[in-house]
Amino acid sequence: MSDDRLIAPGAMQEILRKRLTRRGLLKGAGAGVAGFSLAAFLAACGSDSGGGNVNPKDVFSGEAGDTVQFANWPLYLDQAKDKDGNVYYPSLKQFKDATGITVNYEATIQSNEEFYGKIQPQLAAGDSTGWDIIVITNGRQFTILTQNQWVYPLDTSKRPNFDANAADYAVSPAYDPGNKYSMAWQSGITGIGVNTKLVNGEVTKMDDLANPDKVGKSSVGMLTGDMPDWVMVNLGIDPKTSGPDEWKEAAAWLMKQRDSGTVRQYYDQGYINDLTGGNLTATMAWSGDVLYNQLWAGYDNLEFVFPDGGALLWIDNMLIPVGAKNPVGALEVMDWYYDPKIATEVTEWVLYNSPVKGVQDLIIKDADKAQAQGYKGYANKLYETAHNEFLFPTQAYLARTSFGRQLENDDEASQWDNIFLPISQG
Amino acid sequence: MATEGTDTGTTPAVPPKRGRSYGDRKRVVPYWLMLPGGGYLLVFLILPLTLLTFTSLESGGAFSGNFRFTWEFANYTQQIVQYQTQFVRSVEYSIIVTIAALLLAYPMTYWIAFYGGRWKSSILLLILVPFFVSFVLRTIQWKFLLGDNGLIFSPLKSIGLLPDHFRVLATPFAVVAGMTYSYLPFTALPLYVALERIDKRLVEAAKDLYSSRWEAFRHVVLPLSLPGVFAAFLLTFVPATGDYVNASVLGGPGTTMIGNIIQEKFLSELNYPEAAALSVILMIAMLILASIYARILGTEDSALSAGVAG
Repeated sequence: MSDDRLIAPGAMQEILRKRLTRRGLLKGAGAGVAGFSLAAFLAACGSDSGGGNVNPKDVFSGEAGDTVQFANWPLYLDQAKDKDGNVYYPSLKQFKDATGITVNYEATIQSNEEFYGKIQPQLAAGDSTGWDIIVITNGRQFTILTQNQWVYPLDTSKRPNFDANAADYAVSPAYDPGNKYSMAWQSGITGIGVNTKLVNGEVTKMDDLANPDKVGKSSVGMLTGDMPDWVMVNLGIDPKTSGPDEWKEAAAWLMKQRDSGTVRQYYDQGYINDLTGGNLTATMAWSGDVLYNQLWAGYDNLEFVFPDGGALLWIDNMLIPVGAKNPVGALEVMDWYYDPKIATEVTEWVLYNSPVKGVQDLIIKDADKAQAQGYKGYANKLYETAHNEFLFPTQAYLARTSFGRQLENDDEASQWDNIFLPISQG
Repeated sequence: MATEGTDTGTTPAVPPKRGRSYGDRKRVVPYWLMLPGGGYLLVFLILPLTLLTFTSLESGGAFSGNFRFTWEFANYTQQIVQYQTQFVRSVEYSIIVTIAALLLAYPMTYWIAFYGGRWKSSILLLILVPFFVSFVLRTIQWKFLLGDNGLIFSPLKSIGLLPDHFRVLATPFAVVAGMTYSYLPFTALPLYVALERIDKRLVEAAKDLYSSRWEAFRHVVLPLSLPGVFAAFLLTFVPATGDYVNASVLGGPGTTMIGNIIQEKFLSELNYPEAAALSVILMIAMLILASIYARILGTEDSALSAGVAG
């Protein structure tokens, strides 16, 4: 933790952090979507696929280039202002000081779907995407990128920090055994966000979201992409080994919920504004969205609930797309963020779950330091952050989470879609 | 030209050649003038539409990494069966939207055209001002305004004028109202063009012939403005049917429109052939509806005015 950040702590954080929701307001907006479709058609014409069998040793041999192009989600990296008032990324500046490599960081990913739509044509045509690092959540787009070998397999001998400090759940996840292609950036939990002032009694489990007496009519939000797996977990089904029969069981619960009249909207994103605005009493929610509003933005009527039946764990992963100009430099950047000191700077700012061990202790240390310097409010927020059981989930919580069903091929995907999409699209 | 003319008599062999090339050029010039526009349409309309049609007949999936052209007509039959509810809903919504927009826009543009005086253009500009802000952002602002405990309803609820559970958002009404607002300028502009063109002396003449104000409107202004109404209907109805922003921001369960399905297929399912098939179906349906409409109600004049406004 560099000292220049403590000079202007709390206040600066508040100003810089104009967060709405991690997943942006509305994916792509109209124009982006329209623009993309032509590219998709063109892409559909080409049938070239990816890198073939690449030997990581070849890709990652030689010296790192001068610059790394890094595409990430909004508000997902620590920021600060220099003396002239220009915003910069402290952890990347330190990286440059240490290695001489400049990282061109752009918060350009609004959603997995939209970003995949943008890069897919280039990847399918065998062209470079222009990016050296991209960040994609485990899920359909991730699987397609790795299956088609549109991302480089990493040189696993060149990530010492990762080997030493990666948290257990981020090591060799089911969707990427041996971290062959990916390293976690940040992660989070899909649970329930509750507006405690608007619900009757306590919301503790999934079934409460289908109970109009508790949550009211037309006032529950559901997350379209996450809900199939989330419902399975809460019905006691292990998504990993589930098949069409189990999927139909989950769909039946969702239909029952829809018929109960509690659902207000099936969201891709944007639910958090409806929660803070009082339109939703309770909603499926991503931990970081609720925690930020509760801990740092003053919404003390919000609460994040880990449902009795379990929750989903998701990881946003750093990947190196095929055609990247500087894979060596990219891998250095990726490993840089597995230095606990650097990871702490990120966590204190982004408030999602860090895949790096030791971050919790370092935040407490920073809190002590802030306390000693007299920044009491800032110190308290850091303490609350460090002691939050969802930002640093215990083993007991983690044991009750699932990464969800990883769809492997087109047949599975179309079966899945045919079962679940009629619910949100009816 | 003049010198050429005098030459013609003495040396007949040369001028006809020159003359022909001049005539050729004259005939070719309009085509040259069309080239930029035509080329633009070819590259950005015809070509994508062709590709779209090809894509719609492909099979395969995102996981296998490629789609193959296999004359997959099943894409069409399946989509029509599976999504007829959303197709019908989209057409219903946009008919309501178009009629509502016409009812709102007609008196407004009538007033501007007949009583706007020297402020005409300024007032017309006001109609265009909302266009300066992104359509998506404006729709999201609606959400803040109309929130269950938002700016408008919160005070009304606290003084007991509205029941506590009253809401507008996440209902079909919100979607239709949002779309009406979004597409109002598309309705207003062609209407204004038609109304503004009307010779005001005709109304005076009607009055001289002892018609009441209402009769003058019914027998003179309204018929003369019909081309504008025709154009306004098309310009509103067609894009409104394909809209997906309003339904996804302001709607709830059971308000999904066909545009949302296409978006979902493209972005989430990554099923490009089915998404393309749906788009082609929507496009053909719109073409058929629009040409039936034009057959029944259209005139040469109205087609012209649609062209002018569009």
